[in-house]
Amino acid sequence: MSKTLFEKIWDSHLVLEEENGPSLLYIDRHLIHEVTSPQAFEGLRLNNRKVRRPDLTIATEDHNVPTSDRSLPIVDQVSSIQIKTLEKNCKNFGIQLFGINNPNQGIVHVIGPQLGITLPGSTIVCGDSHTSTQGAFGALAFGIGTSEVEHVLATQTIWMEKFKPFEIRVEGKRKNPFAVTAKDIILSIIKRIGTAGGAGTVIEYRGETISELSMEQRMTICNMSIEAGARAGLIAPDEKTFEYLRGKKYTPKNYEELVDEWRENLKTDSNAKFDKSFTLDAKNLAPQVSWGTNPAMVSDVTEKIPFPEEFAKDLSQQKGVEKALQYMDLKPGIPITDIYIDRVFIGSCTNARLEDLIAASKVVKGKKVSSKVRAMVVPGSQIVKKQAEDLGIDKIFIDANFEWRESGCSMCLGMNPDILGPGERCASTSNRNFEGRQGVGGRTHLVSPVMAAAAAIKGHFVDIREMDLN
Amino acid sequence: MKGNVIKYEQDNIDTDVILPGTYLKIHDYAELATHAMEGLDPDFHSKVKEGDFIVAGRNFGCGSSREHAPIALTHSGIKAVLALSFARIFYRNAVDGAFLLPIEIDEDAYKDISNGDELEINVATNEINNHTKNKKYPMKPFSEIIGKIIAAGGLFKFKP
Repeated sequence: MSKTLFEKIWDSHLVLEEENGPSLLYIDRHLIHEVTSPQAFEGLRLNNRKVRRPDLTIATEDHNVPTSDRSLPIVDQVSSIQIKTLEKNCKNFGIQLFGINNPNQGIVHVIGPQLGITLPGSTIVCGDSHTSTQGAFGALAFGIGTSEVEHVLATQTIWMEKFKPFEIRVEGKRKNPFAVTAKDIILSIIKRIGTAGGAGTVIEYRGETISELSMEQRMTICNMSIEAGARAGLIAPDEKTFEYLRGKKYTPKNYEELVDEWRENLKTDSNAKFDKSFTLDAKNLAPQVSWGTNPAMVSDVTEKIPFPEEFAKDLSQQKGVEKALQYMDLKPGIPITDIYIDRVFIGSCTNARLEDLIAASKVVKGKKVSSKVRAMVVPGSQIVKKQAEDLGIDKIFIDANFEWRESGCSMCLGMNPDILGPGERCASTSNRNFEGRQGVGGRTHLVSPVMAAAAAIKGHFVDIREMDLN
Repeated sequence: MKGNVIKYEQDNIDTDVILPGTYLKIHDYAELATHAMEGLDPDFHSKVKEGDFIVAGRNFGCGSSREHAPIALTHSGIKAVLALSFARIFYRNAVDGAFLLPIEIDEDAYKDISNGDELEINVATNEINNHTKNKKYPMKPFSEIIGKIIAAGGLFKFKP
C-alpha cells in the first residue's frame, strides 16, 4: 500500500493501535526545558516513578534565561528558581542538561539539529509547540503539554489520535531568494490557509522551491506549521539533510548505513494520498509583513494596511481585523512602508540560525541603526553565536549599534527581561504577533531577518528588494 | 454540570492572552489563576465564579503548548470552554490533566448563547441546555480516546 512519509514514520513507531481508537506511539527523542517540565518531574516524584529512558531525554535552559552577561547571577528570583529546579531534576533523574553556561546551550529546537539529536524518520516531542521545527529533517516532531511530558518521561510513549497528512507544495523560482525568504513563504502560506488551516494534520512541504531551500530555511518553514494549526510540519530528507547532520556531536556511529536506509525509505510514495492539498506559487512572492495580531494577518510589503470591510464575507474575521488594527494602532489604507518602529528583534527558533544572521548582516554592513530604534540580535544557540563571531558577524552588528546578546528565546515570548514596553512597535523575526506576546501592550510585526535588518536601519519598513546593499 | 457563561465573541483566543508568558515562571496554581485571561480581559479574575463556562469562537487556545493555560482557567473556576473549534495542543492539555472540558459547539449555539446565560452540559447525551433561554443545543461528541481520558479523570488514570 502506498504511504505518505508521515504514515511511514507513524506506522514504524506504533506500539499499539486500536481500530478507530487511540494509538500508542514510541518516542525516539524527548527534549525538555525549564518551563514546561517542573510539574512533570513533580508528578514522577509523587508517584515514585523513574524516567524510563534518560538516555533519550535531553534538556536545555532557553525560555527564561537572561541574554545579558551570564557571568552575573540571575536577577529575577522566580526565573532563577525555575532554572535551578531543572538543574536539580536533571541531576536527580540522570538527564543530560545543556545549562545556561554550557557551550551547547540554546533554543531547544535550534540545538536538536545542531547536535545531531534530531534524526530523519524519528519521533521527537518537546513541551513546546515549535518542536515542529525539527520536521525539516524528515522527523515527526511535535509539541506536547506538561501532562504528556510526564507521560513520555515515565513511559517513552504517548497516546495520540492519528494526524491526517496535508500536502503543501511550493513551486516556482523566486526572482530574488535573498529578499524573498523561507519566512515570506511560510507567512504567505498561513495567510492563505488560515491559523486553523492545518488543524489535525501534519503538513508535508514539497515541491521545487522547498527542495531548493537550505536546511536552516526549511526549519523556518516547519517551525511555523503550528501557526497554521498543524501539530507538525515535515520535509522529506535529501542529500542536504544528510550532509547537515554528518559529523555532529551526537550523530550515530553507523550514520552512513542509516543514510542509505533513509534515502531508500523516507519519502512519500508516488501514488500516496493526502487528505488535503494546497499549492503556493513562489515565483512572484514579495517580502511579507504582518500587521495584525495573528500570523495570518499578513501583507506584501508593497501593500497598504487593509480595511476591515475587505473581510466582510466573514463577519467574525472582519471584527477580528478591526480589533487587531485597534490594538496595533494602525489605520487602514496607510502603506506598510510608512510604519515606523521602535524596536528590532532578530532571534527566536524561527530565525536565529547562522544563515539568518549572515543574511541580516549583509543588510546592516557599513550602516547604522536608526537613532529612533533599539535593535538586538539574539543568536539561537551558543554554537550559532560562536560560529557568527568566528566569521566576524558580531562586529558588523555591533558597529551598526545592534546589541549582540547571549542565546535564548528572549523577546519572542516575553518571559525574560527582553520585552517590549507598552505601545512599543517591533519588527521581529519571531513567530507570533499575538497581543502582549512580546510584552504587555507591545506591538509585533513578523518579518524575515533581512526585512528586520532593513527596518532597523531605516526606522520603518522598506522593501528589501529596493534597498542599496553595496 | 451547570454554570454561567462568560462569552468572548472572537476567534483565535491564543494562549498568550489566556496566560501571558511572563507568568509561566509561576508554579502556584492559585496564583496562576489570578492572571487567567489577563491579556484579553483584565476583569476576568474579578468576575469569574466557580463553575462558570467560557464561550468563544474558532481556534480557541491557539499558540503555545503551555499547560499553564488550562490550569489557570480551571483554577479560576472554569469547568468547560465551549468553542466553535480548538487548537489541538490546548484541547489535549485540557483533558490530559483533567482540567476542564473542551466542548465543540455549532454556529447556531455560538450565536444564541449570551453572556451570563445559565447552561447545563450533559456529556452523556451530548446536549447543552440553556436554562436562561429555555433552549437545547447539540455538542460535538468526544472522540473515543478523548472520551476515555475524560472518563478516566486524566491521562495517567487512562487505560486503553
